[in-house]
Amino acid sequence: MTTPIIEMRGIQKHFGAVHALRNVNFSLMPGEILGLVGDNSAGKSTLMKVMTGAYQRDDGDVLFKGASTQFRSPQESRDVGIEMIYQDFALCGNMDVGQNIFLGRWPRKYGLFVDREKMYAEASTVLKRLKVDVNSVFQKVESLSGGRQQSVAIARAISFNPRVVIFDEPTANLSVMATERLLETMAELKKQGVAQVIISHRLTDIFEVGDRVMVLKRGENVGERYVKHTNEREVLELIVSGTPETALSADEALKRAA
Amino acid sequence: MTAVSSATSYAPTRYPAQLFGGWEFGILFFMAILYIAGFIINPDFFGSSDAVSAILRDTARFGVMAVGMTFVIVNKELDLSVGSILGLVATIFSIAYSPNHFDLGIGWSVFAGVITGLAVGLINGFLVTRLKVPAFIATLTMLFIGRGLVLGLTGGKTIAFDTKAVGDRAFFILGETNAFGFNTQILIFLAVAVIGMFALAKTRTGYETYAVGGNEQASGYAGIPTRWIRMRSYLISSLTASIAGLMIVAQDKGITSQYGQGAELIVIAAVIVGGASIAGGRGRVLGAVLGSALVVLIDKVLREGFPITRIIDVGDEQIVVQAYAQLPGGAVQAFLGVILLIAVLLEPWAIKGGGVARLWAKVKGESVPPPPDRGEAAIVGAQTKGARTDASGMGAKGLKAFLARRDAAAIMLAVALWLIGFWLRPDFWGSLDNSFSLLLAFTEIALVSIGLTFVLANGDVDLSVGSIIAFSGATVGFLMKEMSVDPLTAIAVAMVAGTLCGVVNGYLTVGFGLPAFVSTLGMFYIARGFGAWLVAGRQLSGFSENFNLIGRNLYEVLTYYGTAPEPGLLMAIAKAVSVQTIFLGVIAIIAGIALAKTSIGQMVYAVGGNERAARYSGINTKAVRFWSLVFSAICASAAGVIYVAYLRSFNPSAGSLRELDGIASVIIGGGSIFGGYGTIIGSLAGAAAITLIRSVLSLQILMPDGTSFVMPQHWMNVFIGLILIGAVIGDIWIRQENIIRRVFDRLRGSGDHS
Repeated sequence: MTTPIIEMRGIQKHFGAVHALRNVNFSLMPGEILGLVGDNSAGKSTLMKVMTGAYQRDDGDVLFKGASTQFRSPQESRDVGIEMIYQDFALCGNMDVGQNIFLGRWPRKYGLFVDREKMYAEASTVLKRLKVDVNSVFQKVESLSGGRQQSVAIARAISFNPRVVIFDEPTANLSVMATERLLETMAELKKQGVAQVIISHRLTDIFEVGDRVMVLKRGENVGERYVKHTNEREVLELIVSGTPETALSADEALKRAA
Repeated sequence: MTAVSSATSYAPTRYPAQLFGGWEFGILFFMAILYIAGFIINPDFFGSSDAVSAILRDTARFGVMAVGMTFVIVNKELDLSVGSILGLVATIFSIAYSPNHFDLGIGWSVFAGVITGLAVGLINGFLVTRLKVPAFIATLTMLFIGRGLVLGLTGGKTIAFDTKAVGDRAFFILGETNAFGFNTQILIFLAVAVIGMFALAKTRTGYETYAVGGNEQASGYAGIPTRWIRMRSYLISSLTASIAGLMIVAQDKGITSQYGQGAELIVIAAVIVGGASIAGGRGRVLGAVLGSALVVLIDKVLREGFPITRIIDVGDEQIVVQAYAQLPGGAVQAFLGVILLIAVLLEPWAIKGGGVARLWAKVKGESVPPPPDRGEAAIVGAQTKGARTDASGMGAKGLKAFLARRDAAAIMLAVALWLIGFWLRPDFWGSLDNSFSLLLAFTEIALVSIGLTFVLANGDVDLSVGSIIAFSGATVGFLMKEMSVDPLTAIAVAMVAGTLCGVVNGYLTVGFGLPAFVSTLGMFYIARGFGAWLVAGRQLSGFSENFNLIGRNLYEVLTYYGTAPEPGLLMAIAKAVSVQTIFLGVIAIIAGIALAKTSIGQMVYAVGGNERAARYSGINTKAVRFWSLVFSAICASAAGVIYVAYLRSFNPSAGSLRELDGIASVIIGGGSIFGGYGTIIGSLAGAAAITLIRSVLSLQILMPDGTSFVMPQHWMNVFIGLILIGAVIGDIWIRQENIIRRVFDRLRGSGDHS
C-alpha cells in the first residue's frame, strides 16, 4: 500500500464555544477523487481550511506525503502543491485571463518586469490542456460567464502542477453543460495522478467521477464508502442518521459487505 | 472587446493601436479645445509661450502627486491628505533650512522634509490597513491635522530664505528655469511619470496593485501580501507629495501657510479624469499625467480673467478703465468639484461600458452594440461586518445595563469633561454666561450630528455638512445684505439651497450608485466654493436685529418684545437658554422618536446592517438612504442660518471642520462608521463631549504663578482630528471587535481559539 498524499489524524477545532471538528480522520491517495459530503455545518469546509492552513487546528496532525506539516497560511500549502478552488472563484475581474491564472506568481523578466510573452503563452497552454474555450487569454475576467470564470479558477489551480486540488461546491452555480465539462476535467486530472477532493451537496456528481465518499456530521466522521460498492441511498442514510459509533471505514464496509 | 486574438497567439501588441480613440486621446482633444477657448478669452496670456511653460510648470507638481495617487486609487484606496503633506513637507523643510529657525544644511532639510512626508504616509497606511479605519476618514483627518500642524508651526506667517538659497544652487535650480529655457520641475515630472508608468504597467509591483484593487480577497488567497500592497500605495503617494513639496520650495524659496491647500481635489480629479475608477482596479499613469495637465489647464482658464473695459462715473466725468473680469476663488473650487463628480460618473459609462463606441455607432446610424455583460460573480466578495451581538447587556440591571449601552462612554465623557472644566476654572465655568455659550456652540455641532446619525446608521457618510453650513449661511447673509430680502424669505431660500445640496448628494449616491463619501466629497468642495463665490470671499455683517434674535437667549428676545421676566429662577433660565437651543430640542425630540420608536428608524438600521437583506425584504433602501442624506443637509442648513444669527455676521470659513465634529460626535455616541448603529441621545452626548473638549482646550488657564495660558487656535484642528481618529479606532476595536473582552479572555485562559 502506498502512502497517502495527505493524511489528517485526530483533528480538533473550536470556534469559541462551538466544537466544529471532533477527532476527525482523513486520508487521500494520489490520483484519488474523494467526495466530502454532509449536512450544512457538518464541518466540510472547516476541515479543508484546516488542511490548507486557512485555519489553525487546535489538535491533531496533518501529514503531507507521510511527513508532519504545519501550514500557517494557504500560501504555504500552495507552495507544496495543494490548491483550493473557492466557491466564489476568487478572481480579479479587472484583470485579464492570463493575469488571473498567474495571480500573485507573475513570471519575471530582467528581475524587474513582468514577462508578458511567457505569461500569456503558458496561460494558453494550460487552457488548451483543460480544453476550455475562453476566447482569448487577453479577455477581462469580468466579461466571462460564470462557467468560464470557473474554468479560469481551475486553470489557475492546475497551472503549477499541483498534487492535490480541492473543489469547494464546484457545481453549485454551474449550468448542466458546464458541470459536464468540469467532471471531464476532473477525470483528466485524475489520469495525471492529481488527488482531488470535492465538497458538494450533489451526490450525482460525486457518484459520476468519485472513487470514495466520506460523510461528516456535526464535526464528526460518520462513515466512508467506496463509490463502486454503495449507492446514493446508503450515503443519504449516513448523512441523515449516521453516528460516529457506527462509522465504518471504506475498507471495513467493503469487507462486511463481502 | 477590441483586439481579441485567438488563444494561441503570443505576445500581444495592443496598446499603441488602442490609444487613439481611447480615453487618453479624448483628454488630449479636450485639452486642445480648452486651450483654444483660453486663447479666445484671453489672447494676452494664452497666446504667449510663457503660458505654455507656466501651465507645464504647475502641471509638474500636480502631475507628480497624481502619479502617486494613481497607485492609491487603483488600489481601491483614497488619499485626501496629499495637499497637507505637500504643505507640511514644505513647512518642515523651510523651518529646518531657514536662517531664522534651525538653519540646517540643504541635505538635512530635504531629509527632514521627506521623512515627515513618509511618516504621514506611514500613519495613513497604518490607520487604514492595520487599524481598519476607512480610508476617507483616516486621510481626511490627516488632511486637517496636517493643515493644523502647518498653521501651528508657522504661526500663519510666511517664511522666506532667498538669500541663503543662493548658496545652494544645486537644489534650487530644480525649481527654476534651466539653461534649456524650461523649468526643471518638468524634467522631474517626466522622470517620476516614466518610472510610475513602467512600475504600474510592467512590473509585479503594478500587477499586485491591480490585483488588490480588483479583488482583495482573491489576491490574499493567491498569496499576495495585500496589507503591505495597500500600505505601499500610501507610502508612494506620500513620497510623491513630498517631492512636490520640495519642488515648490525650490521654486519659491519660501512658503506661506496656504501651500498645498485644496491640492488633493486637483490631484484626485486629475487621476479620475485620467480614466481611473474610484471603485479600484482600473487606471493608468499616462491617463493621470494627461488628466493633471487637463485639470491644471481648466484651473488656469478659470482663474485667468479676461480683459474688459469698464466705464466708471466719477462725478460728472466718465472714465474708461481697463480691468480683468475674474471668477472669485470659490468658484474655481466649485467647478473643480463638479468636474471630479462628472469624471467619476463618466468613467464607468465610458470605459467599463464601452459608452463612447456605442454613442459613435448611434451617431453613424449603425447597429448599436449592447453594453458588455459584467460577470459580477468574481467581483462581489462576501461582505461580513464585524459587529458583535450585545449579549452583555441582556438582563442586566442598573449600572451594568447602563455600561452595556453603546452610548454610555459618550455620556460619561461629557460629564467628566464638564467636571474637568469646572476644576480648571471654578470661577467661570459654572456661570450663566459660560453655560449660554456652551449651549450655543453645542447647538451647531448637535444639529449636524443629528442629521449625521441617520446617514451613518445607514452605512453612508456625509462629508459635506460643514460646507453646507457655509453655503446656507452665505445665502442668508447675501440675500439680506446685498439683496435686501426680508429675514423670513432669506431663511427659507437658504434652507432650500442647503437642502438642494442634500438632494444632489442623495441623487448621486442612490441614483448613480456612487459611494457616499465620493459624492459628498464633491459637495464638500462645491458647496463651500459656491458659498465663497456668493459673498466673494468677504465677511458680511449688520443684519436686522429681529433676524439676529434667532441666535440670542430668551431673555434678550423677551426684552426685545417688551416682556422681560422678573429677576429670579425664571430669568436665570431665560438667560441660559436660547432660541436655537429650543429649536435644537424640538428637532432632537422628533428625530429621536423617529429613529428609536418608529418603523422609519427600523428601516434605517436595517439598511445599515445589511442593505441587500433590507432590499429583499421589501424596504425601499434607496428612499431611506436618499432622505437620510437630505435630512442631514436640512440640519446643516439650519445650523448655517443659526450660525449667522448668533455671530451677527458671516465669515466664509463658517462650518469648517464641522464634518469632523459631527462624525466624531455620532461615533463617540455609539454610532459606527460601518453603519447599523447610533442613537440620537448618544449623538447628543457625543456632541456635548466634543463641545466640551473644544471649550476646555480653549480655556484660559490661570497658572499658580499668576500667568495664564491659552492654547493657540491653530492647534485645535490637530486635536479634533486626533479625537475623531481615536473615536473611530475605539469603535472598531472596542465595540466591533470586542478587543477588551478578548484580552480578558486570554488573560483568564478561557478558550477562544479563533
